[in-house]
Amino acid sequence: MAGMCCGINVGENEPTSPVEPATRTARRRRMELRQIKFIAEIAETTTRLKRRKVEDLEAINNSPMCLQAARECESFITLNIPAGKIKESPPTVTALTTSEDLPTFGYTSVCGRRRDMEDSVTIRPSFYKKDNTKSHGGFHFYGVYDGHGCSHVAKRCKKRMHEIIKEEIEKKEDEIEWTETMSESFKLMDSEVGERSKNNAGPTTSTSCRCELQTPQCDAVGSTAVVSVVTPEKIVVSNCGDSRAVLCRKGVAIPLSSDHKPDRPDELNRIEEAGGRVIYWDGPRVLGMLAMSRAIGDNYLKPYVIPDPEVTITDRTSEDECLILASDGLWDVVSNETAVTVARMCLLNAEKSASPSRSPGNEAAEAARKESSDKACSDASVLLTKLALARQSADNVSVVVVDLRKGKL
Amino acid sequence: MIMSSTSSNHVPDDVSCPESFGGFFETWLQEQERDLEELKAAMAHSESTRSLQDRVDRIMSHYEKYYRVKSESTKKDVLEMLTPSWRSHLEESFLWIGGWRPSTAFHLLYSLSGIHFEARFSELLRGLRTGVDLGDLSQSQLRRVDELQGQTIREERELTETLAAHQETVADTSMVELSHIATELMRDSNSQSSGRAGTDLVNERVESTLDTKEEKFKEILEKADDLRLRTLRNVVDILSPIQAVHFLIAAAELHLRVHEWGMKKDANAH
Repeated sequence: MAGMCCGINVGENEPTSPVEPATRTARRRRMELRQIKFIAEIAETTTRLKRRKVEDLEAINNSPMCLQAARECESFITLNIPAGKIKESPPTVTALTTSEDLPTFGYTSVCGRRRDMEDSVTIRPSFYKKDNTKSHGGFHFYGVYDGHGCSHVAKRCKKRMHEIIKEEIEKKEDEIEWTETMSESFKLMDSEVGERSKNNAGPTTSTSCRCELQTPQCDAVGSTAVVSVVTPEKIVVSNCGDSRAVLCRKGVAIPLSSDHKPDRPDELNRIEEAGGRVIYWDGPRVLGMLAMSRAIGDNYLKPYVIPDPEVTITDRTSEDECLILASDGLWDVVSNETAVTVARMCLLNAEKSASPSRSPGNEAAEAARKESSDKACSDASVLLTKLALARQSADNVSVVVVDLRKGKL
Repeated sequence: MIMSSTSSNHVPDDVSCPESFGGFFETWLQEQERDLEELKAAMAHSESTRSLQDRVDRIMSHYEKYYRVKSESTKKDVLEMLTPSWRSHLEESFLWIGGWRPSTAFHLLYSLSGIHFEARFSELLRGLRTGVDLGDLSQSQLRRVDELQGQTIREERELTETLAAHQETVADTSMVELSHIATELMRDSNSQSSGRAGTDLVNERVESTLDTKEEKFKEILEKADDLRLRTLRNVVDILSPIQAVHFLIAAAELHLRVHEWGMKKDANAH
């Protein structure tokens, strides 16, 4: 419940939604750091993808990701940028890779009608790449976290989950066992959060974290986590809690996660077998307290509330259109079908308006296409957010839209 | 086209502060009612953006005048301003530090935007930019609104805390001590043994202690009013002129009707 911090970052690739109160100077400083961070990132991309063409980089630069007002969390302030890196990787590459390497996506995250912002979003394109893989942009990471009790567990997930998952992937030799990898990662994430609360705070604790003042242990704090790793072949979704991932395939809504509600029959059984109870108090709640049956954190409700995710692995097909990840601020008032219809319309509209300039092989056109697709995803996320607000969602609303259409990763 | 300044709704700035703020408030409400009519007419005639912007500026200066006069009255009698008798009980129940709660501006904006959005949903879905109301609040507007909301709630909380801390000083040592001495003095005076000088001294101390309390209330109320006006101005600045007109119309309607409903309720209760 802390953090009067609200964030909306639309179409940015380093979402950092919760924002601390900032003086103008502090903000400017962050923006500068943000710039550095961004340049460093592009430089890094360039190093990795030696054959990336210049237009692609410009596409990154001009896309809404860059336009986003830079409001950074503390992590960027402490970010260590190797100074030489920017120089040693000039973007003078020629050649052939197309913008297929880069995923197109957009996202919106707002405080809405609540007084506290507890949602967090993380998007990391190409967060993992196998060595010697020049042919594609690697694996892309999308995560939505909806905190409860306070925002710090969600913030921690935002900062760490993708790093943990990356580390877990790197441990695998060849074939990745996704279910195992994700389960292990969620457990590690959960224990990190637990450690932190035992040690009572840490350097990352933000000033807006109210719960720290009230209970030193912070045990009654947790977060949902719906995470998707999109590879060239698969869509892996790992979920804990009541945020949700929905795939749009040929216009049809396919949920890739199933909400963990305490009254879901199998969850109810599990809780009761562990000796817990589900009590109806403003809806079904574990021990009458938490309205979801799985979450990261919430030590006080273990072993009834567990951090074990349910993982779905879906083969990508040419009929896939987009993927939507969102917090219950959206799903409480918008059905999967409506959400998919809205997102799809946005992508199709953009397609229509962009088509005249479309000619394969034309690099500028290709870059423009990517940009317009990014914008379409952002538009979709904004439209869905506004729909949720219009339908009087009383919660924070966070929506990520990823374009999955053919030729895009 | 700039309408010939129908300044009927603007009391000249040099008008001295009315005797009671209650009187000023009544006049201001009538002016707001007229402002509202003008704004509605402007919408009906689909005036140019430039002209709408002029109207928005004038409405904003009307609000600024309200807070200027309110500030004068606060300096004179902060206690009356904190418990405004010109407001109905209904309005009073919704008050935060002697006025509207700043964060409600965002609820108003989201509610209004939601109503417009639903009404134009099919057009918006087809990718059309209607640009005529708050339904198509853009990406960057939404972001700025969200940022502003966060900032506003933060400031609102800080002031609430400041007020809480100040209200607790009603029982600080000097107040407890003074109330005890004053009570003892009253008992003494009943038994006719008190010295006049002692009573005067205590009365002086009471007065100066209460003055300090009032000074702090003044500071808090001024800050609250500053936050209210700033929030309004910042929201309007994020919006396009036509969107701002929609917003100001809704704000005026809500303000005027809640006042009216409350007055009616109070009248019926007596």
